[in-house]
Amino acid sequence: MKYKVVTFVLLAVMLASILGACAPAEATPTGPVKIVYWRAISGAGGDAQEELVKRFNASQSQVIVESQYQGSYQDIQTKLQAAIVAKTTPTVVMFDSPLMPYFAKNGQLAPLDDYIKGKDGVDLKDFYSGLYADGVYDGKQYGWPFARSTPILYYNKDMFKEAGLPDRAPATWTEFKEFCQKLTIKDKRVGYAVQMGVTTAHWYFQGMLYAHGNDISDNKFNVMIDQPTGVAAAKYLQDLILAGIAVPGTGADGAQGEFINQRAGMHFGSTGSLGTIVKTAKFNVGVGFIPGEARRQVPIGGSVLSVMANASKFEKDAAWKFIKFMTSPESNVYFVKQSGYMPLSKSAAENKDMVAFMAANPNFKVAVDQLQYVRPQASVMALPQGMEIFRQAVEKLTVGKLDPATVMKDTKAALEKEYNENFK
Amino acid sequence: MSQTTLLQSHTAVVIKRAIGSALSHLALIGASLLVGLPFFWMIATSFKSDVEVGIFPPVWFPQQLMLSNYVEVWNAAPFNLFFINSIITTFSGLILEVIVGALSAYAFARIDFPHRDALFMVVLATMMIPGEMALVPNFITLKQLNWINTYQGIVIPYVSSAFGCFLLRQALLGLSPDYFDAAKIDGAGHLRILVSIALPMVRPVVATFALFLFIGKWNAYLWPLIVTNTWNMRTLPIGLVMVRDAEGALLGWQHLMAASLMVLLPVLIVFFIAQKQLIEGIARGGIKG
Amino acid sequence: MAVTAPPPMQSAAKNASSILPPRKKLTHFQRERLTFLAFIAPNFLLFAIFTFWPLLYNFFLSFNRWNLLAPKPTWIWVDNYIDMISDPIFWKALGNTFYLAGGTIFIRLALALGLALVLNQKLAMRSVYRAIIFSPTFTTGAAIAIVWSWILHEDIGLLRLPLNAIGLISPNWLGDPNWTIPALIIVSIWKGMGYDMVIFLAGLQGVPVELYEAARVDGAGRWALFRHITLPMISPITFFLVVTSIISALQVFDLVAVMTGGGPMNSSKVYVFYLYENAFRYYRIGYAAALSMVLFVITLAITIFQTRLSKRWVHY
Repeated sequence: MKYKVVTFVLLAVMLASILGACAPAEATPTGPVKIVYWRAISGAGGDAQEELVKRFNASQSQVIVESQYQGSYQDIQTKLQAAIVAKTTPTVVMFDSPLMPYFAKNGQLAPLDDYIKGKDGVDLKDFYSGLYADGVYDGKQYGWPFARSTPILYYNKDMFKEAGLPDRAPATWTEFKEFCQKLTIKDKRVGYAVQMGVTTAHWYFQGMLYAHGNDISDNKFNVMIDQPTGVAAAKYLQDLILAGIAVPGTGADGAQGEFINQRAGMHFGSTGSLGTIVKTAKFNVGVGFIPGEARRQVPIGGSVLSVMANASKFEKDAAWKFIKFMTSPESNVYFVKQSGYMPLSKSAAENKDMVAFMAANPNFKVAVDQLQYVRPQASVMALPQGMEIFRQAVEKLTVGKLDPATVMKDTKAALEKEYNENFK
Repeated sequence: MSQTTLLQSHTAVVIKRAIGSALSHLALIGASLLVGLPFFWMIATSFKSDVEVGIFPPVWFPQQLMLSNYVEVWNAAPFNLFFINSIITTFSGLILEVIVGALSAYAFARIDFPHRDALFMVVLATMMIPGEMALVPNFITLKQLNWINTYQGIVIPYVSSAFGCFLLRQALLGLSPDYFDAAKIDGAGHLRILVSIALPMVRPVVATFALFLFIGKWNAYLWPLIVTNTWNMRTLPIGLVMVRDAEGALLGWQHLMAASLMVLLPVLIVFFIAQKQLIEGIARGGIKG
Repeated sequence: MAVTAPPPMQSAAKNASSILPPRKKLTHFQRERLTFLAFIAPNFLLFAIFTFWPLLYNFFLSFNRWNLLAPKPTWIWVDNYIDMISDPIFWKALGNTFYLAGGTIFIRLALALGLALVLNQKLAMRSVYRAIIFSPTFTTGAAIAIVWSWILHEDIGLLRLPLNAIGLISPNWLGDPNWTIPALIIVSIWKGMGYDMVIFLAGLQGVPVELYEAARVDGAGRWALFRHITLPMISPITFFLVVTSIISALQVFDLVAVMTGGGPMNSSKVYVFYLYENAFRYYRIGYAAALSMVLFVITLAITIFQTRLSKRWVHY
């Protein structure tokens, strides 16, 4: 008899929990509007976002934001696709900027132009145009810049000194190679460990291609990476590996781990990793621009905030209020200081706190100074598999050591196939 | 034959036996140490400082027990939610599967029906269909039910039970029909007989079945990964991997080992408490691992 | 759920019967049959929705292209299957799966049989040894994968110790395409050996003692006993383990997803992982359905092969 009772109680609890979980959340026009915000970035940049959400919720009573961490940028892309299918979309989403157009193109995002220019809008002249240009798709602003970053070069100052190198980052890729040679000690350390992740490999390789004078792809998705400049960049990357002065970062700790554990002297990373790297490294860290070669051009990175098209009018209004708060000079200064991402507007950059912060953190200033060289990422990165195809190219060049001309030709074909099947 | 040679040969046998058993023990101790080493290494690492973790050759024991590793990793992600989710999905799935399995097993064992055995073969045939092939259609079905990212979405597709039906039917068939006939004469319905007579009599089998279900559901990875998409719905194994992959979270191997131990501990405890029952269950049934 | 709450159900039935016109009472047979159906209904309903329907639906989907975002799938006949034949990664994944299975099975079975033979005698602490060696079987795959990633660390991993001691340099286990499958084989042996051992042990205990005694009288040595009695007598078990190992290798996911993500250069991409990627990362639903159908056919073929063959050459 006792068993029966226990079973019934358990069943009741279970049923209640199941039913409780599927009760739908209805937005009501009366009372505060509840919106859900999907975010990426963990660590300092994640905590700072939570704090900003808390501040926003406390600052007014019409909107309540629930922030949900979704994992990496790539996770957000996959999860959002699933959520659209399951009709469980959030209201505000943080996108790795190249991933936004795909959803805009499929009609899943709401254009923000009316809000930006509306009476509760923002001063477009105050925001850096280089940071919001890639939030545009088909002439409409679908994403508003939030955690923007640029890739920068990190180097191990102590190791540079030991190898007799100057205390600065290499200016060109040619010099980068020389530095690698001097840093390498066989079986102990190399100059550089190549980033191999889906969200990282493409970014630095884009930088390499841009510097070698290749434009990767134009706005009509014509792919140009098989041109001589593209093959030259690919061959350059592969030669570093073949010469034994760089390794693919495929080890257990990844490329960043190789740098932190002093098995690689140089490293590329987002400005957003600045805090983490400086905190973890047990040596002096220096930073510099991404090397140039034929020219100096750096692909902008980081994320934009977008609003889902299927949200109600009330939710959209609330979402814009939230976005405006998150990107306001005040919030921006706080976020930048916590995480190392970029100031978004002139008023944020000229803010007294920010000026003092930059004076105290010369490393961070380098990243801001590099903003003059940024350009948007290549259009093909907007393809659902664009980044993955680039990652595979880097893998084929560095791990597979396949012929660079063939790799670039195959990569172009893969990108074109992806465009025709999934984007056109 | 003289006394002494007999004695000698007897001593020889004893010595030979002793050597044989010593060698056996040696082999088994060696194998146990090798198999147990990863567990030891996980526990040892979870208490080390980041400096100790980075040394090679490694140190075997941490100088100081860094309990802070556990606190840090617990705070790096909502582990309390992961635990709650794992507990809810594991136990609700377990209870439902036992009920579903017991009902059908009883029917196949004790109630007459035309072509009953053919129907039972249908149940057994499902064991030949690999669960992985159902991933895509089940995802679409759940999407139509609006069950994505819910507990029922994690649980319900996996509570049908061919194995449980088979196992419990076997056990019920082993019971003497007299019990059932006596109950029937008393006017008891099948449900009453099942709950108050049949199941209590095969309690060990039900318990073993439940233990297997506990372990299997606690360890589940692929399906919960597919049907959940927010942190607050993740189960422990998924949460663990997400914590590892989180960018910029400053976690070292000592933290990951601490988190892994937290995930493993419940199944390890259950296993070592009930190991005899579980291993004998495996040996008898050839249950797929 | 209804069956667990009989009292309200009965009263509901009473109420219903008082409203409805009086019906003929059910015969005993009819009642029995209805009860039978009610008892098997939950299980069969679940099977129908989550096991049999997927089989049919997969078959349909495999002739379509669909990314889930479009309202409807597009019928493309057998294009998915044609794509599969010319898809190098499909073949690579299939090859990797059998490499993993083959590499694991023989070592694992040999070790398991050895240990089972040692354990199959009167020994103190026998059940303790058995429990420890068996313990990895039930561990959480995702957690174990992380623990082993740490042990296999190419620079500071524990496994470097024995390798260095015999003068070898540790390979980049999880980063070098040539070593990812061997790394997975090591983990699979560790995780599965205890299970095989327990099954072997059960088999060994089933060998009639009289057979050995008779052979001993004929003067057979230990090796001869093993070769001519033990091995043939446990051959059905060995065969069972080989087949189940192959089938479970076809379903490997956790270890690969957590330890290598299928890379580098697809070197550790196993079948189910590739299926998962296509379905839930690339949203190539039709292609994933076609991969599912092939998985089903392979599993079915192996199972049929097993039942046929075990009848023919396995000694009982």
